[in-house]
Parts: sequence; structure tokens; C-alpha cells
Amino acid sequence: MVSRVLVPMDDSDMAATALSFACETFPAAELTVLHVAGGPTSYMGGAMSLVLSDDMDDAIAERAEPIFERAREIAAEADCAIETAVALGSPGKTIVSHADGFDLVVIGSHSGGLASRLLLGNVAETVTKNAPVPVTVVR
Amino acid sequence: MTEVLLLVGILVAVFVGYNIGGATTGPAFGPAVGAGTVTKTVAAALMSVFFFIGAWTIGRRVVDTLGRELVTDPAIFTLPASITVLFFIGLALFVGNVFGVPASTSMTAVGAIAGLGLASNSLDWAVMGEIVSWWLVAPVIGFWVSAVIGRYFYAALNKRIALAQSDGPLLTVDRSGLIPVIGFGPGTTQREIVGTVIVVGIGCIMAFSSGTSNVANAIAPLVGSGALEMNVGIVIACIAVAIGAFTIARRTLDTLGNDITALPLTAAIVVATVSAILVIGLSAIGIPASFVVIATMSIIGLGWGRATRTMRASRSDISEKGPDARVSVGSLAADTEGEELPPIGEEDPEDIPAAADLFNPSTTARVVVMQNVVPLISTIGAYLVFRFVPFFGFT
Repeated sequence: MVSRVLVPMDDSDMAATALSFACETFPAAELTVLHVAGGPTSYMGGAMSLVLSDDMDDAIAERAEPIFERAREIAAEADCAIETAVALGSPGKTIVSHADGFDLVVIGSHSGGLASRLLLGNVAETVTKNAPVPVTVVR
Repeated sequence: MTEVLLLVGILVAVFVGYNIGGATTGPAFGPAVGAGTVTKTVAAALMSVFFFIGAWTIGRRVVDTLGRELVTDPAIFTLPASITVLFFIGLALFVGNVFGVPASTSMTAVGAIAGLGLASNSLDWAVMGEIVSWWLVAPVIGFWVSAVIGRYFYAALNKRIALAQSDGPLLTVDRSGLIPVIGFGPGTTQREIVGTVIVVGIGCIMAFSSGTSNVANAIAPLVGSGALEMNVGIVIACIAVAIGAFTIARRTLDTLGNDITALPLTAAIVVATVSAILVIGLSAIGIPASFVVIATMSIIGLGWGRATRTMRASRSDISEKGPDARVSVGSLAADTEGEELPPIGEEDPEDIPAAADLFNPSTTARVVVMQNVVPLISTIGAYLVFRFVPFFGFT
């Protein structure tokens, strides 16, 4: 019985697809949408602007809000409830370390273009290889 | 025939310059345009002027290095070879722009010329070694200088740079007369003017530094072979950069993905200053510098210095406070612009940043590797073409 599902999301369409899938497949489960902020960007400005911001918690929340907004819309359409969580660090590793205590991770297969591929590797692959729980890769 | 080839060479050089203008205006004037202190047109004009000054005064030293010293025999820069080298530089920049992979133009140019030198067996390894050594040393200097600023001076700087922006344009231009008259907009305060001068001044310094190091990337092969005279080449490159600054830079200034403009204003100023000074210094000794890598290490250094600020600890501190150390998401000390801060080491442990995850060495390594992908492609591509395409006669 799958009762707790972790859905890591960024701003990509693939992440939205993953959430729709999770909502439809596990309507009764407790869904947690996780956004990882502060991952590597081309000049590392994204992560460093969090460190240098007036209030780091606020800055992270501000980054995550549009993603959670979209997640809530998707959840409302599919008529399921979600919880949200933020974390800090390199997406792959951070998702893996947050997967403990969940029954399943549902993740989109890939997000950005060449730049993010070079910077992050494939996050879904990292999660699939290292997560302590089963992983469903949505494409 | 030669005239046609020269014209093609100049056109490719103009294409490279055009891309440089587009790519550099964003980081240089992004903060100023973002803060609404200058319009995009003014930014483009300032970019063009200061790029030219940098290119004319110091930039020629780098043109000499790339065009005459990096290869033992500048005669290998035949027109077809020069065009091919410039083509690789332009293509690499283009690919970088399309895929959003930032690449150092200087590293790309050195790579393409080194590829030609390798294939024709005329690469001056001593010069190449000196350039590569500086590519390693300069980012480390940038990191440490920024880290020191981040740790000891950032809070004080932040206080001074507290820019209270008023609504409406800062400067107004009255075009009703024969000569446009520039005046201050409504609500402009004295302090704001000082802040504005700083932000715009930093942009100008960055434009200048770009001129010193980047003009060579567009014209070095043509000047090195004697196809173009140095001064003529510089003027052509600067016109191309200006075209880029007035056209495609409008878009790059808008790109929210520009990491440097995403930084808080104080941080952007520190990073721009440290990086620009390093780039100008290297150009002055004839070394083509990689702004992208230096700026990245400066950004990481600043953040790292800032985040470790509260960690001044003696051995006893560590053993006493160790058990209390808490790791949570985002408990970073909050620095509001203008806020009074306790001296280093005396902040509440609750405020100690838990951002260690952001300073993962493997993450930094990935970023640096990514920035080297485009230069690497241009080096290998140029080498393979010059080595194996019989047309160039190096096989």
C-alpha cells in the first residue's frame, strides 16, 4: 500500500506531468511536493543570491512559490491534496536524502536543456540509482 | 580573390564582435538597467564607448599575444586559416548563447588558435603555458579576494550601498531644445545619485575590461597575419561590438537567467569590481582573461565568505557550542540593507547559516567543467580541421 509519495518538482513541464500522474495513480496517498532551491546555475548566482539575500527563508520561499502555485493548480484539477516542502542543495542528492520515510518517489524524467544537463547530470537518474525507496520515473 | 577572402574574414570578425557586444552588455549593465537607473539605449552607448577605450589602450597587447606570440610563425594565419579560426570562435559563442551555456570568449579564441598551432606544429608552448597558468591563478585570486570581502566587509558595504530608489526615471532628458538637456527626475535624492554613479560606473569599468580582453578575440588572426592593420582592426571590432550592444543586447539584458543580475546589488557590485580589475590587470600584461570563470569564482567566494562569517571559533567554542549546532534549511543571518550587525563571531548561533550544502566542491567542479566545454570544443574542432583537411596544407 503506497501511502506517502514524494514528488520533487522544478519549473519544468515534465515535473508537472509527474505530479498529475501521482495524483491520478495514488489519489488516496499523502503527496508531498518537494522543491530543491540553490542548485548549480551557470555562474552559481542563483545559489549565492540565496546566501546573500536579506532573509534566506523568505528568498527560498519566494523561489518556490510559483512552482507550488502550479502544483496546487494541478492537484486541484485532479482533486487530490498536497503538502509542500523546500530544501537546499544539489537537486539529485537532496531528493535522495529526503526520500527516507516515503513509500515512493515520483519524478519527471528530465527537465531543462543542454546547460542544465551539463550542470546537474540527470536528476531522475541520480534519484533512481541512489534512493532508499522505489522510484517511478514519469515521461 | 584575396579581396573577397579579406572581406569574408572581416565579416566573420564582425560576427564575433557582434556576439561579444550582445553577451557582455548583459553582465556589465544588467544591474544598472535592472535598477532602472539607465535605459537600454544608454547602456548600449556606454558599453560601446568604454569597450572602445579599453580596446584602444590595453586591448592591443592581447591582440599581440594572440596574433603574434601564441604561434611561433604568424604566417600560418593565412586568410583561409584566419577565417576558420574566427568561424570556430563565432560558432562556439553562438552555440553557447543558444543553449545557455556561458563560455569564455577568450578561452575559446585561445583554444581555436592553439588548435591551429598544434596542427601546424607552430604553437609556442611557453606562451600557452603562461596563459593557462593565469587561467588557474586568476580565479583563485578572485575567489579569495571576494571571500575576504564577503566575510569582513560585506555588511558594511551593504549599509553604504543601501539605495533608496525613488519612482520614476532618475535622469530625465529634455529634447525640446536643440541640445538635449539632462536633468534629475522627480524624487531623486543626493544619496541616490551617488549610488547611481557607482552602479553605472561599475558597468563602465566592466565594459572597459571587456574591451581590453575581448577585442583580440575578434581580430587577432587578421592582425597577426598582417591582413589588417591594428588600429583599423580595433575600430572594426568596436563597431561590431556596438552593433551587438544596441541590438541583441536588448534581449540579453532582459534574460532573467542572467546570474549576475540576479545577485543582490551589493554583491553584483563586488563581483563586477573584483572580476573587472583582474581582467584589466591580466590584459595589461597581455594575457587573455576568462571573465566567466573569474566572475563565477568571485561569486562563490563572496557567498562562501558571507556564509562562514559567524564561524570564527576557537577550539573551546567548538567543543562548547558543538552540541547546539543546528542544521536546518535556511537559517542564514539576515542582512537587511542598512542593518546594524554584531561583530564577527558574536552573532546568535541561531543565525549561523546552514548553507554548507551550497558549497559542495563537486557542484563547483561541475560548473567549471561546463564553462570549459565550449572552449574545449573549439580547440578540438580547430585542431581536427587544420590537421586533417588537406586544403590548409598542414597535413
